[in-house]
Amino acid sequence: MDRLERYLQSVKKYLPWQRQDDILAELRANLESQLEDNEAEIGRPLTDAEIETWLKQFGPPMQVAARYAPQQYLIGPNIFPTYWYILRMACFWVLVVYSIANAIQIAVANSTWNAVAHAIFFIPSVLVMTAGWVTLVFAVLEYVLANYPQKWPELTSWIDRLPSKVPDIEMDFASGKKPRSYPMAVAGVVFSVLFLIWLLLVPKHPVLMFGPGAQYMNDSPFLLAPVWYQFYWWIVALNVVQLAWRCIDLLRGAWQHPNRAEQIVSKALGLVPILLVLFVPDHVYVMLKNSGADMAHYGATATVINQAIHTSTLIVCAIVTIQLLWEIGRTIWEVSRKRAAAM
Amino acid sequence: MTVAENLYENLRLELRRGCLGLAVLAQLRQEHYGYTLRKALAERGLAIDESTLYPLLRRLESQGLLASEWREEDKRNKRFYRLSSDGEQILAQLLQEWNEINTAIDKINNSGNL
Repeated sequence: MDRLERYLQSVKKYLPWQRQDDILAELRANLESQLEDNEAEIGRPLTDAEIETWLKQFGPPMQVAARYAPQQYLIGPNIFPTYWYILRMACFWVLVVYSIANAIQIAVANSTWNAVAHAIFFIPSVLVMTAGWVTLVFAVLEYVLANYPQKWPELTSWIDRLPSKVPDIEMDFASGKKPRSYPMAVAGVVFSVLFLIWLLLVPKHPVLMFGPGAQYMNDSPFLLAPVWYQFYWWIVALNVVQLAWRCIDLLRGAWQHPNRAEQIVSKALGLVPILLVLFVPDHVYVMLKNSGADMAHYGATATVINQAIHTSTLIVCAIVTIQLLWEIGRTIWEVSRKRAAAM
Repeated sequence: MTVAENLYENLRLELRRGCLGLAVLAQLRQEHYGYTLRKALAERGLAIDESTLYPLLRRLESQGLLASEWREEDKRNKRFYRLSSDGEQILAQLLQEWNEINTAIDKINNSGNL
């Protein structure tokens, strides 16, 4: 009996305090009855070892007590899908905003590699913190919905509606094109952000683009013409626009098939910096740092370089223009085909 | 335990979980306290662990399906349970559902053997 009493005291420690005496009294009555039955069956009192074996079968005190506790969830199955969706979205957007903010800060403040490494190593902490806050908010929601479902009925309907909009049926399914998956779309945004960071770091750290050639450019008698600075900022602006579009597509749930109009506008905007370079007055792309002293030695080389860049730009411009016209033509053809099919 | 055995055990427990409440409600048309209820169910072929049965009784009572009272029997205070009037209604509905499922499973199983 002493062992049974000790076992019951152990169970009591883990029971909900409001009901522990009541539960324990009932448990005691049941176990004592069972013990009496067992003893009557074998015709003698159970030994301490036998009682211990029997109690072990009943289960560890903590587990026995836990079964009397009401079922509790930090985040229950009803709101878990919404929680998971919001958690992924929150982590993704925090990562995007954090990356852009740090890239700008590093580019503007002329930061060292240490600052870049620090920003990268801090990413897990930022994600854990975001996940923590989202989990906390949903844990509170779970508590409110479980305990006061009548007080905030609109809360339940609001959670059920998330995400608020289902994506449209994409027309390209008919053409057999495989839709872009969500991880692919997210990867697209992440790589766009990384590319933008790299691009913004280039003016302060030319070695990122030119490698060891950066030192050669520094020591060489040549200087980049101002048009390249305009070209650079156009490229940055284009990447920002494309990144914004990709983010908006993700937010709208329309990542499966990139919008055809967006692709055309992107290509058209991409043509602008090429035209800017192509039509630069006198086709001057590189200049001499010290034109008076170096003209005799490097003047001819500069002319050859400028001519080569102009020819290359002309070829690139032609290719991009053909691509753009092809995209426009294909879009017009598809629209007219759909109209004809609808008639 | 192999993966297949583990899977079977999980499915078996899932299947049993829904039936236990029904069995307890049906058995408690006659008054019992925890231990005698367990014995009565076991005698009819449905063995339930004490650690499952006793909390289940509490839960069914808190849902209003069972009524209970403390009473002395054999010089010992015991908590006796019986089906409440709400419990009777619910039991009737659950038994109907049970019979329908049983019939459907039989039909599905037999049609699969044809």
